[in-house]
Amino acid sequence: MRTEPTRIRSLDDPEVLVQTPATIYDAVPPLTPRTEREAEFYTLGDGEMFVNLGPQHPSTHGVLRVVLKIDGERIVDLDPVLGYLHRGVEKICEHGDWHHAISNCDPLEYAASMFSEALPVLAAEKLLGLEVPRRAEHIRVLVWELNRIASHALFIGWLALDLGGLTPILYGFTERDEIVEMLAALTGQKLLFNYMRIGGVNGDLNHEFLSRLGDWMGRAGKHIDGQATLMNENEIFVNRTKGLGVIDRETALRLAMSGPPLRASGVPYDVRRAHPYSVYPELEFDVPVRSEGDSYARYLLHIEEIKQSLRIIDQVLQRMPDGPVMAKLPRLLRVPPGRAYIALESPRGQYAAYAISDGTDQPFRFRIHDPSFFNLQAVGLLTPGHLVADIMAIMASLDPIMGGIDK
Amino acid sequence: MPAASLGDTIEVVIRPASLPAVMRTLREDADLRYEILSDICGVDTGLTMQVVYHLWSPLSSDWLRVIADGLSREDPRLPSITFLWSGAEWGEREAYDMFGIEFEGNRDLRRIYMPPDYLGFPLRKDFALADDASRGPGEGIRPMETPHRPAEVRTTGALRTSPGAGAVLGPGGEHLRVSPGAATAIAAESGEGET
Repeated sequence: MRTEPTRIRSLDDPEVLVQTPATIYDAVPPLTPRTEREAEFYTLGDGEMFVNLGPQHPSTHGVLRVVLKIDGERIVDLDPVLGYLHRGVEKICEHGDWHHAISNCDPLEYAASMFSEALPVLAAEKLLGLEVPRRAEHIRVLVWELNRIASHALFIGWLALDLGGLTPILYGFTERDEIVEMLAALTGQKLLFNYMRIGGVNGDLNHEFLSRLGDWMGRAGKHIDGQATLMNENEIFVNRTKGLGVIDRETALRLAMSGPPLRASGVPYDVRRAHPYSVYPELEFDVPVRSEGDSYARYLLHIEEIKQSLRIIDQVLQRMPDGPVMAKLPRLLRVPPGRAYIALESPRGQYAAYAISDGTDQPFRFRIHDPSFFNLQAVGLLTPGHLVADIMAIMASLDPIMGGIDK
Repeated sequence: MPAASLGDTIEVVIRPASLPAVMRTLREDADLRYEILSDICGVDTGLTMQVVYHLWSPLSSDWLRVIADGLSREDPRLPSITFLWSGAEWGEREAYDMFGIEFEGNRDLRRIYMPPDYLGFPLRKDFALADDASRGPGEGIRPMETPHRPAEVRTTGALRTSPGAGAVLGPGGEHLRVSPGAATAIAAESGEGET
């Protein structure tokens, strides 16, 4: 009689299947692929491997996770995984009244929240057929353009930082800090302003805001030129961004992009001109357009837009009329039934909302269209073939904000 | 096709089957040129499902709203428009994730925000939040979603037993298959239809 020799099982034994619980960092999902595309992506070719990037990674500008399929140092394909910041803002908006929607939409675009908080405001005003006081309209344009500069200054800094340059972001934050301090004097908040109101704005311009603004306007143009010179004449920066991540006009349109990435590809689509709102039709400004469509063109476009924003601020301050800053509205705001679509030009593109009201004080459906969500889709098309280090430069030039993408 | 003008938006309501033909005409006709897809979203009216598209054309300052109306709430499905705007892919994924609307021809129709093993569609009107009981006396707390047990789904659930890679989980948990090139086939089929 023969007995089986007892085997000592170790982790090196190929017969032992080590069951480890799947974590969010596993590149390969534990489930069978759900779609053709997922099956295709999660099948490795010869010499290819997966690398997980994010969700906590400074270059992803928030909590974006990207699964990269790489061959050596070249990216073969990538699969962005969203949802780490999903709060269900649309559902929450349906469950609060119209005024609550303002503060719920505030943190969507946290780098420029004057724009996202204006969504429910403009939608409700369109449904109500409300005329907003002229002074309130001018103040809105003023704070929008200030916030656009603050956001663009940050963009320029981030782009350089993702390419390895530390200095520009310090200049960018200096610029942004001055604007943010100024807006804090006006609204009481530095990041999530909660300043827009249905029918106007929350409070008139005050002395501290105006004195800070006047102080800053005197040197803003020079600061922007200085920052532009710092970057434009930096050979490393120019060489690394020129010709990188090129989107042509037709592809940009097909990808449903908007904002600077679209205009850098030669489509002059700016909601302020395409479908004017507020007092923009009365103001003089140009829509900068470039045709190269690469990261460098997107960067130059941001510089141009800052200059145009300064022009708008100048005009608004000169034209600022007197009067009230809030329309007269009942306490309990019952918005008449109907459907309304509004859009505004945020620093990242077209921020839009589609609201359905059923006549109660709550929106029946409040759809938020975020431009970064649609712009970010382009990384799947732009990055294959580039080096791993270039994915940062491409992604930063699309300027995604995860608060809006994940909603 | 009933068209209604509301404020500065032109509204067109169409049947879901004619969507590819209508969108192709809107995008490619030289007199229309609605080349910018402004928005794509799902809507649950409580009775039916809709998918709403907003378009913009350089020839007109109006928005064009195209509503594909009359999708059934049990099995909402309509053709994808990714063959015209590849950027609609994520928009359709979001509508699928939030409403369970099946876009036939979208080759990557999986959840985008919610976890892969999640069941239920959060933006539907019958997906009640826990504090909805406060809305009316006697309504009680309705279940937030179908109870979901990840362990069971992974071993014996639909995802594990689904035949082949093309299977996706339908609104009721049943298998649905997305065949390649369905959109183009549908577009060719309804190409000579109304616009």
